[in-house]
Amino acid sequence: MDIKTSKKLDTNQKITWCPGCPNYNILDSVKLTLTNLMKQRYRRKDFVMVTGIGCHGKIFDYLNISGFYGLHGRAIPTAVGIKIGNPKLDVLVFAGDGDTYSEGISHFVHAAKNNSDITLLVHDNQSFSLTTGQATPTSQKGFKTKAQPFGKLNNPLNPLMLALISGATFVARINARDVKHSAKIMERAIKHKGFSFVEIIQDCVVFNVDMNHRDKQMDKHPNKKRTRLEAVKLASKYDYNLGKGRISLGIFYEE
Amino acid sequence: MRLNILIGGGAGQGINKISSIVSQILVKQGYYVFNYRDYPSLIRGGHNFNVLSISDNQIQSHESKIDGIVAMDNLTISKHNKELKKKGFIIRPTKFLEYGLNLNVALSGALIKILGFGNKILIEEVKKQLNNKQALEAANKGFESYDKKYSLKKLKNKLIIKSGSQGVADGAVDSKIDLYFGYPMTPSTPVLNILASKQKKNKLKVIQPENELAVVNNALGASFSGAKVMIGTSGGGYDLMAEGLSLQGMSEIPLVVYLASRPGPGTGIPTYTMQGDLDVALRSGHGEFPRVVIAPGTAEQAIQKTNEAFYFAQKFNTLSIVLSDKHLAESAFSFKEKARKILPISMKRKIPGETIVKASGYEHDFHGNTTENGEMAIKKTQLRLKKYSEIKKEASKFEMVQMHGKKASKNLIIGWGSTTGAIIDSIKDLDAKFLQVLYLKPVSKEIKKEMEKAKKVILIENNVTGQLGRLIREKTGIKIEKRILRYDGRPFKSDELKKELSKWI
Repeated sequence: MDIKTSKKLDTNQKITWCPGCPNYNILDSVKLTLTNLMKQRYRRKDFVMVTGIGCHGKIFDYLNISGFYGLHGRAIPTAVGIKIGNPKLDVLVFAGDGDTYSEGISHFVHAAKNNSDITLLVHDNQSFSLTTGQATPTSQKGFKTKAQPFGKLNNPLNPLMLALISGATFVARINARDVKHSAKIMERAIKHKGFSFVEIIQDCVVFNVDMNHRDKQMDKHPNKKRTRLEAVKLASKYDYNLGKGRISLGIFYEE
Repeated sequence: MRLNILIGGGAGQGINKISSIVSQILVKQGYYVFNYRDYPSLIRGGHNFNVLSISDNQIQSHESKIDGIVAMDNLTISKHNKELKKKGFIIRPTKFLEYGLNLNVALSGALIKILGFGNKILIEEVKKQLNNKQALEAANKGFESYDKKYSLKKLKNKLIIKSGSQGVADGAVDSKIDLYFGYPMTPSTPVLNILASKQKKNKLKVIQPENELAVVNNALGASFSGAKVMIGTSGGGYDLMAEGLSLQGMSEIPLVVYLASRPGPGTGIPTYTMQGDLDVALRSGHGEFPRVVIAPGTAEQAIQKTNEAFYFAQKFNTLSIVLSDKHLAESAFSFKEKARKILPISMKRKIPGETIVKASGYEHDFHGNTTENGEMAIKKTQLRLKKYSEIKKEASKFEMVQMHGKKASKNLIIGWGSTTGAIIDSIKDLDAKFLQVLYLKPVSKEIKKEMEKAKKVILIENNVTGQLGRLIREKTGIKIEKRILRYDGRPFKSDELKKELSKWI
């Protein structure tokens, strides 16, 4: 990757993600974002990450900033607490789709409603991968797994639409593999005052591979002021169930 | 001299105002009072009652035989007539119905007259608490409508009155709490409300998150970023927090939990009392990790012991639980006013914003990064274990048990928490001493010593299985055979308890 990031952000921990996992790209995007921010008024010691439990959470060990490796589903309330405890901190949450939309969905809705001043980055690979591939709330109907041998019985939810109707004031979607674009959006998300939600479309190279390789469906939509309803409409274009429709990338809504 | 006055009426009629006006007056006149609240889980109607116990000596309980009934409705009279002593009085609502919402003030006036106090102190108190024309008229009318029956004279005692909840809140404020997180649940809610009411004055914030899972994780996050925090909950809410308590154990971020229990299992009997949650206070949360569990028995102890809970949490980066129940939380206690000895709470840990610091629920190395290495796991586990032995050493400097009654007696009663007042009052004329266990984790070595000195040991608990008894057996190997257990959701009354104890002593 031809990006330059601050060495201060590196740790000496051995990375244990699967070879080819887009989590490597997300880590690069985050490092690039923080490097860019540190060139501005941001200080490394003011960043605090909170991670949930899942493959995404391992990023905790690979980033040399303060952090709290929290509970599955509870990364958001931990982050909200950190911000309440010291409002000067810049609080980032890394969470998975299982974390955010299954175990901890109430916190997702409330953080959006309350406009809590944190940045939520959801690594959505439509699968519980660290527990070997069970269905999550964003997995497609019919997804066969060891725990759902007859296929997942219900429809997935659209997290962007949920965030928008819950009152989130910054909603965006990025492609894990597009590091430079991701870093731009992440920077905007961190700078946004209020609840920022960034959905990261991410392949899992081992589980739920049917939903992978959708890059050709993805479009970076133009940055423009949208109403909440226009943003909902744009978010509804991609069908998480069928994997069909154009996957819009970029900022959907900001106020 | 001791009087027990039952004050009853429908929910929403304002019986607590009567208790408040009358007990404030009594305390200012130097009398000890204890106010017990009995109310079902409904908001309007039904039947609520308080028992206001009055004495010229220290009392911390109520009794079953009633000297007077203050009735806001006829139901109160028909329900409690049989508890009334032969020469007991009844203050009826009928004469004062025209005062509407101020019926309670009129009845307060009548009661003050019956007790033998003058009109001036009544009017002063009503002005202080309500200050409106109708209330003052009602107070005067009540006062004029009854004859005095007793002749209570001003005493020299300098007393104050507080609920157990107020005690916990005061202890938290003494400890310079920054943030209190709580989700409403009886009987922990009063602390939420009390702390919320004076946030600016006490330089703290009270936050009500979406659920108890958010409460405990908010609190751990806030504590991680440097705030002094306490959370409050009861029964089911505490169960929801259990995973967060375990996270505290691994991440070692200071956390004070106020647990006010009520009868369970399940939703149980929500507005009544039970000491059923000692086991979960001691053990909830998966894995093995240190904690401190302290159970005050009176409002005065609640102030001090909450302060100690903060001290342990911050000094050892540990979990401190202040264990209470509905009877302690919602009863009002009077005690001698004296300057409080406040333990200074200092924070000695790294916080984000000042340096890079990592906390984790995973087993982690000394930088906070995840480890699955066996040797590191042993090292970290032993450090947590060592921390507990340091906690034990430190705890021995504090009052872990308190002895009451006749110190030389061979009859030993053991109890904890909200039964304390009733036990102390019940043994005043008995050959008995009472060992009140204040620290339930760690436990004091005194317990075993006292048990070995005693001829008879009696366990008193407000639960069905004798949870303290089990803990004592675990720690000392001694099984207490004689047990007085009450589990109808009601607290012990001192006269009934005395009768029960007299069978054994």
